[in-house]
Amino acid sequence: MRRWLAAVLVLAALAAGAVAQGRGEDPARVVGPPRGPRLQGAALDARTAEVAALLRCPVCQGLSVADSPSTMASNMRGHVKELVAAGYDEDQILAYFERSYGEFVRLKPPLRGVNWLVWMAPVMGLLLGAAVIAWALRAPRPAPAAAGAHEKPGPVEDVPGPDSLPADPALARYVLRVRERAYGWPGGVSPSRDATASAAPAAPAPGSGA
Amino acid sequence: MAAPARPSATAAAAPAAVNRRVLLVGLFVVAPLIAILLLNLGRDPHSIRSPLVGRPAPAFSLVPAGGGPPVTSEALKGRPLVLNFWATWCAPCLEEHEVLVRTASALQGEVRFLGVVYEDEEDRVRAFLQRHGSSYPSLLDPEAKAAIAYGVAGVPETYFIDAAGVIQAKVAYPLSAQTMAENVRKVRP
Repeated sequence: MRRWLAAVLVLAALAAGAVAQGRGEDPARVVGPPRGPRLQGAALDARTAEVAALLRCPVCQGLSVADSPSTMASNMRGHVKELVAAGYDEDQILAYFERSYGEFVRLKPPLRGVNWLVWMAPVMGLLLGAAVIAWALRAPRPAPAAAGAHEKPGPVEDVPGPDSLPADPALARYVLRVRERAYGWPGGVSPSRDATASAAPAAPAPGSGA
Repeated sequence: MAAPARPSATAAAAPAAVNRRVLLVGLFVVAPLIAILLLNLGRDPHSIRSPLVGRPAPAFSLVPAGGGPPVTSEALKGRPLVLNFWATWCAPCLEEHEVLVRTASALQGEVRFLGVVYEDEEDRVRAFLQRHGSSYPSLLDPEAKAAIAYGVAGVPETYFIDAAGVIQAKVAYPLSAQTMAENVRKVRP
């Protein structure tokens, strides 16, 4: 009988305390009835810390509710503890806070909607990086081979030799004058060119006439 | 004579092709970032869009500062409500206090005004209200349960709730006479 009386008195005191302290919303109205077991003691503290670590402190810069020293985070930890003690599971508690603060309150964004980008971006970045590296490593090898196969006569013919002249006539005249001054070739024309023109086999090395 | 011009033309064509490819990859990476930047350029980085706007206001039952029976959100339905979270230590709250008191007096009987004290002590609240005056009750929220339920991240924050109990607007900065009038219009019948 005494035990019952004590229990009734404790409940009455708790109810009075709740009224005096003020009440927020009934979580069951937001996330339904508790789905997990009621916890207490060390298990309650451990679970509270785990769940609080998943919530972002709304008044801090990137700190979790578990890590923040702010009064708001302390109040939120207290609220998480009450919810864990009442048997609400992790998903329900996160959903309860998300209803008020939005997805922002979750430190780990859930895999849904545009969040897939957040989760997949690093993987896609790695794959893209690997593809670029593979392309960069493989690209130079086929390039010269292809150039050799398709444009073989081109580069050999196109290499400017000691007798070649630029297409611009004014520049060509200037080059001829420079050759005349530098090498002493009459009119800037290499003697080898004359020799090649008259007798192909006896071509002296370029510059030998200087 | 045209021969020497050809190698330079080939040399110019090769980097141009690579640049176009690099440009495309660059655009693919940079364009979404620029789009996100442009979309959010006008947003206040400190403001968080409240998911509660357009949804029923969370229920509460809080005791007024200075004593009295608890005020429950259920009992408040049927008339628009302006719910202002504030604290005595918050300078912007003092800045908007006069606008709140004046509007509450002007709209008495039409729109209900309530303050909810955030992270503060009752003695300080009473002293503040005595010094600066008030025309509506301020409720105590010692464990910040109401603040958490409303997603309060700092003070001042004001919620404009219509007669059906649905949140129509949230303002997370000090109210001016103009912002007050604009938001009250959203909940007045």
